[in-house]
Amino acid sequence: MASADKLINTDVPEKDVFALHFLQSLSNLRTQSPLNSPNKSIDRVRKIKKAAYVSMARAAGGTSRLWSRALLRRAAKDDNKSVRFSRRKRKVTWKISSKRKRSNQRAPVVEEAAERLRNLVPGGGGMETSKLMEETAHYIKCLSMQVKVMQCLVDGLSQK
Amino acid sequence: MDLTQGFGARSGVVGPVTGLESLNFSDEFRHLVATMPPENTGGSFTALLEMPVTQAMELLHFTDSSSSQARTVTGDIAPTTLHPFGALTFPSNSLLLDRAARFSVIATEQNGNISGETANSLQSNSGANLDRVKAEPAETDSMVENQNQNYSSGKRKEREKKVKSSTKKTKSSVESDKLPYVHVRARRGQATDNHSLAERARREKINARMKLLQELVPGCDKIQGTALVLDEIINHVQSLQRQVEMLSMRLAAVNPRVDFNLDSILASENGSLMDGSFNGESYHQLQQWPFDGYHQPEWGREEDHHQANFSMGSATLHPNQVKMEL
Repeated sequence: MASADKLINTDVPEKDVFALHFLQSLSNLRTQSPLNSPNKSIDRVRKIKKAAYVSMARAAGGTSRLWSRALLRRAAKDDNKSVRFSRRKRKVTWKISSKRKRSNQRAPVVEEAAERLRNLVPGGGGMETSKLMEETAHYIKCLSMQVKVMQCLVDGLSQK
Repeated sequence: MDLTQGFGARSGVVGPVTGLESLNFSDEFRHLVATMPPENTGGSFTALLEMPVTQAMELLHFTDSSSSQARTVTGDIAPTTLHPFGALTFPSNSLLLDRAARFSVIATEQNGNISGETANSLQSNSGANLDRVKAEPAETDSMVENQNQNYSSGKRKEREKKVKSSTKKTKSSVESDKLPYVHVRARRGQATDNHSLAERARREKINARMKLLQELVPGCDKIQGTALVLDEIINHVQSLQRQVEMLSMRLAAVNPRVDFNLDSILASENGSLMDGSFNGESYHQLQQWPFDGYHQPEWGREEDHHQANFSMGSATLHPNQVKMEL
């Protein structure tokens, strides 16, 4: 489906890459806290969820995608131990925001939807609408892949 | 493009049209060529237009009378004499107009056929009508300079641009994404200043991406209207995120039961994930898995235990390979 439009690249790696990264992050989780073993299930859920997102971001292309970069940065901010994230030299995004201010009459229907998307997609705050939609497409693909992987994992584990 | 090369050669043979989406346009060109006079009289203006003299003069008179009006001229030019072009869609009428304008500049230098006033008005009209990102007068100047050479090449260039612009409607989204210069053609009755041009290009970019998103989200291509489509896309993203959260909760619930080691997970996932599409990249990653002390004793303990679980051929390979690493 992505290959139909060769200009906007929304290729996403195969399921295996996602599976690998997720398992890796899960095993890291295991090694991390075998001792304190958080009894509250909410903590575990949160950790697993975070591990899922981080592994998805890594699998999807690391820092070469805007949303994954923002995700990783957000995760690294919270606790420095679980996520290793090296800061890249940040590209200046001032121009984009000023451009947005200049012409605000751009199809208000699209723009309010873009606002909602920006809240959903990580890293959406500094993007122009067209770039945002590109990132959303890639994000949707990666999310669905991750969901598939997790579903398989849960099914496999609960079967046993 | 084959079409333009065929014209550039002035051989009267149009090459096969490849990659052009407006087919009726190419038919009209062929028709045009067929009505071309057998010999090309030197450098006369009307011969450049590749039309019979009478038709050319008709066209000129029409354009002259209507050029004094506002920019939207092209609707008037559909006389019965111009039958080859009658069936053309309206962009080609303006194409004729600008072609006539273009060559009228040459003609004033050359023949003195046409009054300067006509040429000026036509040129101003064309300048207003055709809004290209690259400078237009530069083109006409260069054409005036080297007359003989540039007639054919200029025509070819011009025809290329016309063909490009005529297919602009169908290809517009593609072009605006690909080229650093956006060759946007002003459509009939639309403003041509830079801002609105940029706006239009940007809007087309956004529409292209929205189409891409529409294909991605299931059930979105049946919906009409951008607002609903966007709502659907947002709902889809939200639902995916909720699914991730739900699955992570289930995983957390399932987890305490299973002794969380690599082997068992791989074994349990045999049927679902790894179905022979395990590419080489993942193999390497698997082999370079950072094994620490926590995992190793488990390998030694459980390798015999889990042998029986491995049913699939491809899946049996990588645990063995992993063991070889140790």
